Amino acid sequence: MYAVSDLRRVVAEVKTQEAEAMTKELLARGLDPVTILEEGIVQGLNDLGAKFEARKAFVPDLVKGSILARTCIPYIIEALPKGSMQKFSQKIVIGTMLSQHNIGKNLVRTFLSINGFDVIDIGEQNQPFDFYQKAEEVKADMIAVSVMFLPAREKFAELINILKQMEVRHKYRVIVGGAITTQKWAESVGADGWGAQAREAVDLAKKLLKIT
Amino acid sequence: MKEEDFEIEFFPTRIAEIVAKHRIERDPDQPVMTDPDLADEIFQAGIELLLEVGFYCKDTKRIVKFTEEEIKEIVRTRKSEVTLGKGRDAITLKPRAPEDKQPPCIFAPAGLRSSKVELYKLFALTVAQEPTCDGLIPLPLTGIGNFKPASGTPSEMLLTLTEAQIMNEVAARAGRPGLFFGIPMSATTPLPLMTVFASGLYNKYNCCMPVQVLQDMRINHDRLNLAYFAQLHGIVPWISSCPVLYAYLTGPEQAAVEIIAHTLGTMAFSDGSFTQAMCCTVDSRYVGNDVWWCNSAAALAAERNLKVPWISFGSIGDLMRPLSDESWYATAAQSIVACISGMEGMWMVGGSTGLEARWGAEVARAAAGIKVNDGVAIIKQIAKKCEEPKPIKTPFEELYDPQSLTPTKKFLEHYKKFTKIFRELGLNYPTWD
Repeated sequence: MYAVSDLRRVVAEVKTQEAEAMTKELLARGLDPVTILEEGIVQGLNDLGAKFEARKAFVPDLVKGSILARTCIPYIIEALPKGSMQKFSQKIVIGTMLSQHNIGKNLVRTFLSINGFDVIDIGEQNQPFDFYQKAEEVKADMIAVSVMFLPAREKFAELINILKQMEVRHKYRVIVGGAITTQKWAESVGADGWGAQAREAVDLAKKLLKIT
Repeated sequence: MKEEDFEIEFFPTRIAEIVAKHRIERDPDQPVMTDPDLADEIFQAGIELLLEVGFYCKDTKRIVKFTEEEIKEIVRTRKSEVTLGKGRDAITLKPRAPEDKQPPCIFAPAGLRSSKVELYKLFALTVAQEPTCDGLIPLPLTGIGNFKPASGTPSEMLLTLTEAQIMNEVAARAGRPGLFFGIPMSATTPLPLMTVFASGLYNKYNCCMPVQVLQDMRINHDRLNLAYFAQLHGIVPWISSCPVLYAYLTGPEQAAVEIIAHTLGTMAFSDGSFTQAMCCTVDSRYVGNDVWWCNSAAALAAERNLKVPWISFGSIGDLMRPLSDESWYATAAQSIVACISGMEGMWMVGGSTGLEARWGAEVARAAAGIKVNDGVAIIKQIAKKCEEPKPIKTPFEELYDPQSLTPTKKFLEHYKKFTKIFRELGLNYPTWD
């Protein structure tokens, strides 16, 4: 018989099939779906993030972790009493500026998704205009940008400039994060919010979009 | 194949198998890879990686495969020398081996990450006037004064043309109109790259076309288009491989193998020979035993098996601070690693000033010809001093006299302090006395 801690372990080890089977079993036994989500899946993903920081896991593991979450979470959502799962109408466009790095971006996407936001992922290697274009297309409320190297920092400033020039800056809260960003820099270029860790994006989004 | 399948299963599995099969293992205490047999294994592993994985094309979602015959042909037909620049400012990168007395060529960053054009020129001039500097690598302009260009629009073309105009002006003012300018650095999309060559401001003598493979064995149509454009116009293709340690790759062993595969594959579609190769870590670190091991391993593998003009990285990139001890130790370490690994050149040597470029170049000249073991010993002594410097901004006036463009007393004292330190470590260069 599995415990939620076992689920957390297999999530951290990125064993998707085992995690899926455990999630189903834990739900079938009547365990609280929110506990399974938060203490099993989310904590397991956090552990995986810590392994990445310690260089005991690598980007492919993080991507697999994201797939694992996408596999398991629908069962949990299905098991929740109708109306109990937070689901927000606000839309968040997320992507990586210029570079191909998707580690942080994928983690933020996962955290935002499992916390009820409608997340539109435009992937990697984006130019500033791509964020603006997608945000306008989907009528987004927020733009979240992953900045992983210095030229991308300059492109983030360019995005803020484009939003101003197109007279749509007021429509979008813009948040940024990534290895080479700081709160001070984010404020200096006109971002609405900055986060050091992927998990912080959830609180930041709730605060900026005035969700209580 | 879906890119996700390529990046999380196919590529990581195959490269891990190949590295294990060839028993490519690093001693974490050794900053530089000096074993010729291991270098040959790395080269063979790189060929196998290219044969078995190929290049994933992001546009077609298909894998570009290579044959063994194609790769053999590439190895056989590469040029061992390349001439860059024009007239009396032209330089030729010639083959060198690890203990060769001929120093590697020095390409230094010129300008400043800024939109302040006049300030950008001042910084660039300090570098162009340095006789030890063999070429300039323009730092990206972030705008033109208050004008902030947007990527993929005509304004980006204007930005890139402005960069090229400045480089030509700076080289002429320094009395070196034929200097080599590396690659156009202010362009982030293909059209400005082609436009700036069409203008003639950058041309086949003074600049290369970037055609480098994308991260971890991936290409797209942009790369192929740029390579074809370069071939049509006789422009030297800029082959570059910059793997990121601890992202998709588990460490420097995989990265060294990937550099060889990247290089051979890019040579196949661009017909180039001149290669830049370096790695950094996922947290943007450009120095340290793991990084140096990878760079030196790939360079030695190429030196023994490919014999093309091979250059690596000469600084800690944008983290450089002109008056920080850490930056100067890091520049020196990069120069020594390049020398004892048999590299033909280094790019982005120093920070954004001439004196930093001079420092990197003089260390390279002093280190050329030293025994590999002596170089390794120096690296071991200074490795821990190459940490990330504090992000302190120093105004131009504190570094150079804006009128005469001579270094200030404070900056020269910093330089002299380091020449003394490295003389005591066993490196000597005539002007240091």
